[in-house]
Amino acid sequence: MKQQLSVLAGILAAVLLGGQASAAELRIGTAAEPSALDPHYHNLTPNNTVRRHIFESLLDQDAKQRLIPALAESWRTIDDRTWEFKLRKGVKFHDGTEFTAQDFVYTVCRIPNVANSPSSFTLYTKGIDSIEVSDPHTLIIRTAAPYPLLPIELTTFGIISAKAAGGEKVTFDKAGCKADSWPSTQAFNDGTLAIGTGPFKLVEYRKGERIVLDRNPDYWGAKPEWDKVTFRPITSEGPRVAALLAGDVDLVDEPPLQDLERLRKDPKVSVVETLSNRIIYLALDQAEKTPTIKGTDGKNPLRDIRVRQAMSMAIDREAIVKRIMNNTAEPAAQLLAPGLFGTNPDLKFSYDAKKAKELLAEAGYPNGFELTIGTPNDRYINDEKIAQAVAQMYSRIGIKTQVDAATVNVFFSRRNKGEFSVYLGGWSAATGEASSPLKSLVATRIKEKGFGPTNYTGYSNPKLDDLITKALATVDDKEREKLLAEAMKVAVDDVALVPLHYEVTSWAMRKGLSYEPRADQYTLAYAVRSAK
Amino acid sequence: MTAVNPATAAPSRVQTPLKRFVVEFLDSRVAVLGLVVLVLIVSSALFAPWIAPQDPYDLSKLDIMNGMLSPGSADMDGNLFWLGSDEQGRDLLSAILYGLRTSLLVGFSSTTVALAIGLMVGMIAAYAGGSLDAAIMRLVDIQLSFPAILIALILLAVLGKGVDKVIIALTAIQWAYYARTVRSAALVERRKEYVEAAQCLALPRQRIVLRHLLPNCLPPLIVVATVQVAHAITLEATLSFLGVGVPVTEPSLGMLIASGFDYMLSGEFWVSLFPGLALLVTIVSINLVGDQMRDVLNPRLQH
Repeated sequence: MKQQLSVLAGILAAVLLGGQASAAELRIGTAAEPSALDPHYHNLTPNNTVRRHIFESLLDQDAKQRLIPALAESWRTIDDRTWEFKLRKGVKFHDGTEFTAQDFVYTVCRIPNVANSPSSFTLYTKGIDSIEVSDPHTLIIRTAAPYPLLPIELTTFGIISAKAAGGEKVTFDKAGCKADSWPSTQAFNDGTLAIGTGPFKLVEYRKGERIVLDRNPDYWGAKPEWDKVTFRPITSEGPRVAALLAGDVDLVDEPPLQDLERLRKDPKVSVVETLSNRIIYLALDQAEKTPTIKGTDGKNPLRDIRVRQAMSMAIDREAIVKRIMNNTAEPAAQLLAPGLFGTNPDLKFSYDAKKAKELLAEAGYPNGFELTIGTPNDRYINDEKIAQAVAQMYSRIGIKTQVDAATVNVFFSRRNKGEFSVYLGGWSAATGEASSPLKSLVATRIKEKGFGPTNYTGYSNPKLDDLITKALATVDDKEREKLLAEAMKVAVDDVALVPLHYEVTSWAMRKGLSYEPRADQYTLAYAVRSAK
Repeated sequence: MTAVNPATAAPSRVQTPLKRFVVEFLDSRVAVLGLVVLVLIVSSALFAPWIAPQDPYDLSKLDIMNGMLSPGSADMDGNLFWLGSDEQGRDLLSAILYGLRTSLLVGFSSTTVALAIGLMVGMIAAYAGGSLDAAIMRLVDIQLSFPAILIALILLAVLGKGVDKVIIALTAIQWAYYARTVRSAALVERRKEYVEAAQCLALPRQRIVLRHLLPNCLPPLIVVATVQVAHAITLEATLSFLGVGVPVTEPSLGMLIASGFDYMLSGEFWVSLFPGLALLVTIVSINLVGDQMRDVLNPRLQH
């Protein structure tokens, strides 16, 4: 018996030690998966998360979205419109070639040339007027107007290897760079061009299954703790938590809200959370004709500001936060959580179903109309449930509402084709200040200016555009903040879209790991540490 | 001597086929129990609008403040939620009753339409024979070689959401079973003397098919159909669980199970459990009835 026990103990020890030996592997269960590994294909949080492991940007942001140097060591302004960036020397791409200024030039050139990009990064490159490479490790960037956001915007896109893509000769031209061909998104997905300078290299990408990364041994910066990182998309909430509790993964993002209480009490698990920069909103199509509204004789009621006001007022945001979000969110009155740069402290939301009904009647819809809301069902925290709750509240003021839920890829492609009159969306302010949601979601869509890339509603207000343009050209922080806050007020007063709430992001991990919660919601493997 | 109809000439204690069927069916207590439960389920689904405490499809009647109430608790106005509520504040008992309506509607109507189509196609194949028969049967083979759920998923991805579309999809995947069953039954029957006799009498073709062949092919079909109803209901639940069936605001049983699935690990079991039980009981009762019908109608098991 004793012998048996010791054998058993031996096996147990071996298993445990085996577990220890593979401790340099980090397995992450994610709620959403990237739509591509192409760093410039889709400006979407899951894409940007994986991108940060493989491709780096000139500058980066820390967990609180403060600027930190990355591929650029230092930067300064020469004058209002001229910036100088000193690039880090001795940085190698995964294929061993050296990182130089040309790679940045090629990246900026390629961004507008990504075919079928659902949400482009041109938003962040449009400010650049000219790029001068004074030596392989010095960049001079000029902007047409004073452009204070340039350093922040340079954190948003990853730099690809010009050499690997055959773009060593490409020069920057504001009107459009010349190249024989541009690399396809597929070339990044299959790994041929997944060559960056990041702390990890791509090993395997199987859509719907896993993304495997290996540590980059030649990485210039702090070496990550993990030899190997696996991202596993586990979109269902229950199984994601179960995988963590069973030890199949070490860390999960977006643990289901209904489980948070229990997870916090679990001695084997730790939970971290922070208020994010993501707004969850309803976009209201304001085009002449709209696809999913019936009972209005072909007219689009959403063009009437009273209807839009009613549709904002009809929503009991506190109830949604309390019941659907288990208090892990903040009700929203504007497009970015108050307190962050450029938000307006005076904006308040109100809930008044009676007044909403009156407004509808005033606008000529006393009996409401029929509406279908589009929503993804695996992208944002409880997205489909929020849409259903909104449908409930709209039904109460007479708008007969249906919910059309689809998985994230299907949803985005349908949204981009304009198949929804109202859809539930989310926007994460990559820059951590108000110009990001304003410029992307509510500014009039002007491709050349990089305005409104995610404005699918057709909303357009010249006054708002002017304010945003002016703010973006104002170097003085105080003045800029004032302009942004003013622009925010215009957008909210116009009900350009209906803000619902700001997400609170949480992560759950096995005890022994630590992760500083990030306002930008990224789950970065290299920032996960094991507590010692 | 006039021609004697064998049925009337037989001694009076030999019952009519229907009577015999009823008597033999009642032999099995389990089947009777299944039938009783099934009748209860069907009638409660039929009368759902009158017996359900709430209209779960009327969003203006729901309130998220009543979300996730545990079974037996009441809301602020004193309305009792017998089986609890889901996260939208939908009374689960009502949602189950309405969900059963959807399930049964989808199950029975898709089976009926598929039966009609299959019957027609199978009969044509069996009676026409030759290359037409071969062509139809190869089509059936091809269709049956794909998993049903796969065809349904593809069809629904194209057609979109809605109960009508689910019925179309389920009809499209079921007709082949009937076509094959009818054809094999009809092939056997076709060689029997009474068909030959009818042909000798130079009766028109459609009369032979409809009046002579068809009634004799029906028993095996009825058995297949009962099993298929249960199958169709399960398929509908599966499709809704996967989120391609009915709209989320009008949940069927499968969708209720799916929406509660996320809460299973959190101790809020009722959203998945009760609709699951309802589905289980429905399927089992249909299968019990179907099994007994198969035993009774199977000529080889008859004494």
